[in-house]
Amino acid sequence: MNLDSMRTYAEGDTVDVVVVGTGAGGAPVIAKLAASGLSVVALEAGPNFRPEKFAFDETLADEIYWTDERLSGGSTPEAFGANNSGTGVGGSTLHWGAFVPRADARDLRLFTESGEGVDWPLEHAELVPYYERVEAFLGVSGPPTYPWDAGRRYPLPPVQRNGPADIMAGACDSRGIRWADAPAALVSREFQSEDGPLRHGCINCGFCHQGCRNGAKASMDVTYLPLAVAHGAEIRPECFVTGFERGADGRISAVIYSHGGRETRQRCRAVFLCAGAVETPRLLLHNDIANGSGQVGRNYMGHVATQVWGTFDHEVRMNRGYPSALITEDFIRAEGADFAGGYLIQSLGVVPLTFGNAVARGRGLWGKALTDYLGRYNHLAGIGINGETLPCDANVLTLSDEVDARGMRKAQIDFGYSTNEERLNAHATKVMRDLWEAAGAKDIWVLERVAHTIGTCRMGHDGDTAVVDPFGRSFEIDNLWISDGSTFPSSLAANPALTIMALALRSADRFLASGR
Amino acid sequence: MTGRPPDTLFCLHFLGGSTRSWEALGRTLDGTARLVPIDLPGFGAASGQSGYGINAMADAVTEAIVAAAPGPFRIAGHSMGAKVALALARRAEDGDDRLEGLSGLVLISGSPPSPEPIPEDRRAKMLAWIDADDETRAKEARAFVHANVAAKLPAEAEDRAVEDVLRAAPDAWKAWLNSGSTEDHCRRVGTLRMPALVLAGSEDADLGADAQAALTMPHLPNGRLVTVEGVAHLLPLEKPEELARLLRDSMSGSVEPNTFPIPADYDALIATDRVNSRLRETLRQRAEPDDPAYAPKAVDAVEFAILRAVFARVLPVPGLDVAARLDARLASGGGDGWRFVALPPDAEAYRAALRTLDAAARAAHERPFVALDEAGQDALLTLAQKGKLSVPDSLGGRLNADRMRFWFEDVRADAVRLYLAHPAALASIGFSGIGAGGDSPEPLAAGLPGFHSTGLDSPESWEPRSSESAR
Ligand SMILES: Cc1cc2nc3c(=O)[nH]c(=O)nc-3n(C[C@H](O)[C@H](O)[C@H](O)COP(=O)(O)OP(=O)(O)OC[C@H]3O[C@@H](n4cnc5c(N)ncnc54)[C@H](O)[C@@H]3O)c2cc1C
Ligand code: SF4
Repeated sequence: MNLDSMRTYAEGDTVDVVVVGTGAGGAPVIAKLAASGLSVVALEAGPNFRPEKFAFDETLADEIYWTDERLSGGSTPEAFGANNSGTGVGGSTLHWGAFVPRADARDLRLFTESGEGVDWPLEHAELVPYYERVEAFLGVSGPPTYPWDAGRRYPLPPVQRNGPADIMAGACDSRGIRWADAPAALVSREFQSEDGPLRHGCINCGFCHQGCRNGAKASMDVTYLPLAVAHGAEIRPECFVTGFERGADGRISAVIYSHGGRETRQRCRAVFLCAGAVETPRLLLHNDIANGSGQVGRNYMGHVATQVWGTFDHEVRMNRGYPSALITEDFIRAEGADFAGGYLIQSLGVVPLTFGNAVARGRGLWGKALTDYLGRYNHLAGIGINGETLPCDANVLTLSDEVDARGMRKAQIDFGYSTNEERLNAHATKVMRDLWEAAGAKDIWVLERVAHTIGTCRMGHDGDTAVVDPFGRSFEIDNLWISDGSTFPSSLAANPALTIMALALRSADRFLASGR
Repeated sequence: MTGRPPDTLFCLHFLGGSTRSWEALGRTLDGTARLVPIDLPGFGAASGQSGYGINAMADAVTEAIVAAAPGPFRIAGHSMGAKVALALARRAEDGDDRLEGLSGLVLISGSPPSPEPIPEDRRAKMLAWIDADDETRAKEARAFVHANVAAKLPAEAEDRAVEDVLRAAPDAWKAWLNSGSTEDHCRRVGTLRMPALVLAGSEDADLGADAQAALTMPHLPNGRLVTVEGVAHLLPLEKPEELARLLRDSMSGSVEPNTFPIPADYDALIATDRVNSRLRETLRQRAEPDDPAYAPKAVDAVEFAILRAVFARVLPVPGLDVAARLDARLASGGGDGWRFVALPPDAEAYRAALRTLDAAARAAHERPFVALDEAGQDALLTLAQKGKLSVPDSLGGRLNADRMRFWFEDVRADAVRLYLAHPAALASIGFSGIGAGGDSPEPLAAGLPGFHSTGLDSPESWEPRSSESAR
């Protein structure tokens, strides 16, 4: 994004707030606080990309992924990098899929409902106005009415359906399952961003995960961050935060970061840590702060994100159009479920490298079987879920003994399914297989997959069992706040980013109201 | 390299040989090339000379070459002499001007740059008798010559060969067995561009065609491996006429560059303004042919040959050197943001896994992985995929079965990602996405083509077809 004429602060200045990370959790905070008149400096590890560089190619898009190595263990090792971790001004939203269902109210009270998982320390009703604000501001496109939430309205008409969406709609009809055009954080027609650029309507190019060239997709660099800069925030790219300075009172007085190989500090009155569910706990563990609860790094979660693929007689050409244009929430609570929580299903079109990678890893094909199967690319379509993952003791992020080029210990993430995830997965796999059979798919196969990075600094009412309070404020360091996917106590069935943004605005409001 | 054989051939003998080992060849060659045999330090007329290490021997040969002021020349190295010849070739390609005229190699039953696989008991026995009494020495020297030929040599030739063995300085003999043969020059020799004729005897016990394919050929992208039937380890003595014939028609030109061509219609699409110009340039770069003499950086030459063999099975696409592209990526250190905690860092994991795979082939078939047929290679890769490929440490296994499974998952993913980055691969699957872009001067582009039609069975007129779509 264009940062040429933004306001800048000197190293010696003490700013009101330093925000670490400019993704889904950071950007709304930066915008809200700057718009409220605070002096804000955002430190972002990644570069400032210009959309001019987005070139409709998967390998070229590698530069927007977080490629510092993470170690993946546990019984279901999760892939990082292109699978779920971005970097740069805008964070993971540069390459996110912009699929934005709201969390279901029942998911926030899962323990009360089922005796499994946890209740969130806040009411769903508190989130709704924030969801509405975010959706309106981003310009979310969606169906005129939402089958699972009668009152909900989306600001823009839905995005054009593609081949996999058409197939899924037909299959759902034949099985009596409700479906809708997906709520998508992209603009189906031209849209003026508040204090930001004019965003052009989606051209159905299908490269959302590689960076949107025309600003249709709501990445933070065309939405909250221009708003922030317009209100005087400074965004410093290529600034990797490594530590904090603290005063005698234990409060953070400065954030230490490296820029161009030089260690620098920015003095501040408060810090919002928004580095994502892997780097946020890594920073806290590395500096050994805010962890009196011993909870930092615990309860790491990825969504159950299993996909089912099939070959069709139709020419599907799944690369065309917004990749996940259809949704059903009928399984947020599934009939006859032997598990807590539920899942949503989305249609899937996937670009070749990502798909080939899945085939090679997940289906295990190689040799002629692999090249022959890839040759059917234009006849393939998939569906996939996003399913609840419950917090679990065995799923933790720790620091490995291996260090990175900076000398900081690498994050090691151990993740595996427990019974609840396995049961949910089995249920969903059966449903998806059945749908694809109904649709006439041949050569159906299942891709086991884990998506998103969630948990590790959970919020709660009690500093003995949680890292931050229900608004994201550290129990131990009262000018430290966390706003990103790390604070989720459980994963929820919904994809995370919309909820992360809603929570971010809520944290910012609280911060402002608390008089800091 | 022209087809014309160079004028001069410097000849480096085997362990226990000398300049005399080449006499029979000289007679049959009959002037088609000028042979300049050299006695290596400790052997033949140079038995009093010291300096038995590979580099010291290479120094001595360099002096002899300079003294002969040859113009263009090749070096023939036999067994031990081959290892010295490879060291010299490296020096020449690194720009040593005293070796400037070196234009090719002839390696006969060559000892490879990597440590030579001599069975321990044989090594011990050879070390023992060289210092024994004269009678034992005479007996064992004859037995040594016998053991290295397929059919008995003519009496006179055999006697002269035995005499040469006995002439060798025992210290030189032992030095080769103890250290020269085990010196590891694999990394140092790397990948040589010069043409090479690599000859293996069909009856050679340790340095036959399999060993040459696994350990010598990986260094010689412009090498040609020929098995000579009915010969063991001493080709110049056993079949000098055959060697002369091979020399005469040796040194065909270098290997064709690899190509994985973009079909014309896809190429035409790339040229249109539907394709973003950064992408267009990138696609053209990715379509550049791979260098057949690519010198690996992250793995060594022997491992690279195994890597190529693995990718030839995992991604059988002629003309695309996935191994070279992967090695370049590994060497650049650019990772993908994660790895299985069970595996060491990427390059290290590749090296250990390739060695493990090779050890598995040797354990199961007594052959290197590269020498197995496709079915044999596939069987081992399938075991790796199933987490059942386990090779004891004592037999050279470096990664356990679980790790081999994780590694082989990475291999498949790496292969497919490199493949599908190539425009010819995108063409083969009929991928139209490259045409969704185009250029715009605006920071947020307006008016790019994208897709108007996104539903089923509704290709836009410009979209490429895959063979499947056309069926
Ligand atoms: C391919 C893909 C598709 C996705 N699709 C969807 C989707 O369709 N819907 C959905 O809801 N979610 C989706 N997500 C997930 C979504 O993008 C994330 O959940 C969300 O962006 C997380 O927000 P965050 O603020 O926690 O972290 P991020 O958005 O990742 O932001 C963290 C930022 O902090 C920076 N940072 C990290 N460490 C440091 C440091 N030490 N110093 C300075 N800066 C640092 C990083 O560079 C990064 O910019 C997708 C993700 C991926 C990768
Ligand atoms: S499909 Fe639409 S939202 Fe996605 S990248 Fe293309 S133009 Fe942007």
